[in-house]
Amino acid sequence: MAPPQLVTLFRQLQQAFTARPCDLQKCGTLLAQLKIGLIEAGLLMPSGDENLEDLVMARDVLEVGAFWSIRSRDIPSFDRYFSQLQTFYNDYRFASVLPPSPREYPVRGLYLIRLLTQNRIADFHTTLESLPLAADSLTANPYIQHPVNLERWLMEGSYSKVWNAREEAPAEEYKFFVDSLMGTIRNEIARCEEAAYESLPIKDAATLLFFTSQSELLSFAQQRGWQVNVSAGTIAFAKKGEEKTEIPREKLIQTNLKLARELEQII
Amino acid sequence: MADVEMKPLDDVEAKEHDEKSSPVAEIRSNVALIERAVSTLEPRFTHRVLRTLTALRKRLDDAVLRDAIGEIYTNDDSQAKKALLVWLPAAPPQDHTMDVDTTHVPSTHPKHAQPEPVPESEIYFRLLILHHLLMSPSNYKKAMTLAHETVQRMQALNRRSMDPIAAKVWYAVERTYELLGELAGARPLFLAAQRTASLRHDAETQATLINCILRSYILYNLYDQADKFVTKTTFPASAANAQFSRYHYYLGRIHAVQLKYSAAHDDLEQAERRAPPQRTAPGFYQAVQKLSIAVKLLMGEIPERGLFRQPVLEKALIGYFEIVKAVRNGSLSQFQSTLSKYAADFEKDKTYTLIVRLRQNVIKTGIRRLSLSYSRISLRDICVKLHLDSEEDAEYIVGKAIRDGVIEGRIVHEKGWMECGGQKGGYGPEVSDVFTARIQYCTNLHNESVKAMRYPLNAHRKDLVAAENARERERELAKEIAEGGDLDDEGPDLGEGF
Repeated sequence: MAPPQLVTLFRQLQQAFTARPCDLQKCGTLLAQLKIGLIEAGLLMPSGDENLEDLVMARDVLEVGAFWSIRSRDIPSFDRYFSQLQTFYNDYRFASVLPPSPREYPVRGLYLIRLLTQNRIADFHTTLESLPLAADSLTANPYIQHPVNLERWLMEGSYSKVWNAREEAPAEEYKFFVDSLMGTIRNEIARCEEAAYESLPIKDAATLLFFTSQSELLSFAQQRGWQVNVSAGTIAFAKKGEEKTEIPREKLIQTNLKLARELEQII
Repeated sequence: MADVEMKPLDDVEAKEHDEKSSPVAEIRSNVALIERAVSTLEPRFTHRVLRTLTALRKRLDDAVLRDAIGEIYTNDDSQAKKALLVWLPAAPPQDHTMDVDTTHVPSTHPKHAQPEPVPESEIYFRLLILHHLLMSPSNYKKAMTLAHETVQRMQALNRRSMDPIAAKVWYAVERTYELLGELAGARPLFLAAQRTASLRHDAETQATLINCILRSYILYNLYDQADKFVTKTTFPASAANAQFSRYHYYLGRIHAVQLKYSAAHDDLEQAERRAPPQRTAPGFYQAVQKLSIAVKLLMGEIPERGLFRQPVLEKALIGYFEIVKAVRNGSLSQFQSTLSKYAADFEKDKTYTLIVRLRQNVIKTGIRRLSLSYSRISLRDICVKLHLDSEEDAEYIVGKAIRDGVIEGRIVHEKGWMECGGQKGGYGPEVSDVFTARIQYCTNLHNESVKAMRYPLNAHRKDLVAAENARERERELAKEIAEGGDLDDEGPDLGEGF
């Protein structure tokens, strides 16, 4: 059994977390104390047959911790909590001891969004595959559906859909990622525009990039090194000079020599 | 991917053998071969025995095993014999056959003259019994106990000559766990055994165990762990082709999930190439092809039509064929309807998520077709033709396609159309790169096959003898020439003398 002071701390944490507005600072200190307590009780990384209630408590602490890190915008901390939760979500599930947590899918969905904002698409898919859901029922779960749709639109290039979906987040915490996601999208769009357009009217560029004011656009343009022609009202994209097609002499010689050697061996 | 894939895999290397010989006789000759392998330290014979395993497995039953054990273990007090017979039900005919054996065998061979068979034979019998038990679901629990006991016995005996058989036993152990649905729990056991095997340079067991572990990870969708496991281990180069083939298949699966499509494609190609012929292992071939079609489509290639006409694949790949058609046409609506129609199949093959990813490829193919057929097309028309939701979307999508290098062109925003640029010429550095890659592939293939050739021992002696003979002949020839030269020399003399 977990020591009683741990349980009281946990109660306090739950209170502080569910209180509106939530007291982030208090949660933080409580979480730190709780984690030490969990380690002492051997529950942070459970390795054997622990008491079921204790396990549920440990998992809840970690889940609260994950949400808390997002609310206080501490992404590395969220990553840590998420990887600690993996044990509870995966290993204990197969042994079917632990009842599933109602917060499991929100946490998993948040992690998926986080991978998207960093453009870690390969990790996104690996995590998606490892979800304990049947693949065709993925879209039935609102917490998972959201990141899955976002990824699909991002890959297709339907950026306006992503933009429109930003307010449809299934949980409060999802919105914390909206800003960084928008940053990712803008960069993507900007790279597309550089390739696809010769020049664009300033006004249209602003709508394409979802900027509401011209000054925002101008600073963004400066960042990317675009030439803004204010008098004509257009943005010209720096053309990459036609790459000179040079014959890679050395490489050709090397491959030819190698080929000759191989042929020699065969004959 | 539960059953279809595994069973045919075993058929790997199943060699055609004499159908007429009875299973008991075959087991007897196999045990003799194992004895020979142990005494001559030549693992080749053991391999020959194990090749017949799959075919033999299907013909096993209680009576056959009992008879075979009775024939091999002539000494009734033998510990091994008792331990083996425990696993077989004592059916009524048993007494009869045992009587026949005990009266028959000693008449031909005196009891004491027959030494106790080598432990390898015992493990071989255990393997046979294990496979036999796995045939009926009611015996799974029993098989599990036997599997554990066998593993303990193997580890206690610790003989290098046992390694090839041990590898097969490990496979049977994995199968037992999987059939009982407890594969996740077996992982620590496999990992420990894998460490031991790699310390002992036991390539066969190592290869089998690596595949077992990968399978157990992938079955539970733990691709992350599987990937880490792959990077931390090296697959033994001397492993059998069948194991290699499975390993490459698993690698292909991992890489496909991680979006490393070209790596996945290479792996799957290897898997296909190393796999046994399609007819012997149709299930594995189908599984590889399913995954490989998905990967090819994701890479933007369209599989050949002929592939879907092969008799082994025609039925199994019908859903994939429809998907390929949809991607080829670049029609999103057709793609969606096919996807929902065959969703259950794809889910069963574990390719659903891969196929869902194809959506963007369908759009890209559509845009590409448009860019080839029009020199200028309005965004509105693109929108209508590709069933996109809005013109705004179309603009972004075309922009992305241009950036990704799918098409050459530009968008003229003010006029709302896309101008398609000319196609690239077919010559350039990339052509020579592709050419070099192909040549390299051919030479590699050649070198590998040279390396893979087996040279029989002492074969060079024959050459030596031949060389000796040749030298002998040469010497004779030289002598003759010398003598002939004398004649010649004498010729003019004669002439002069004339």
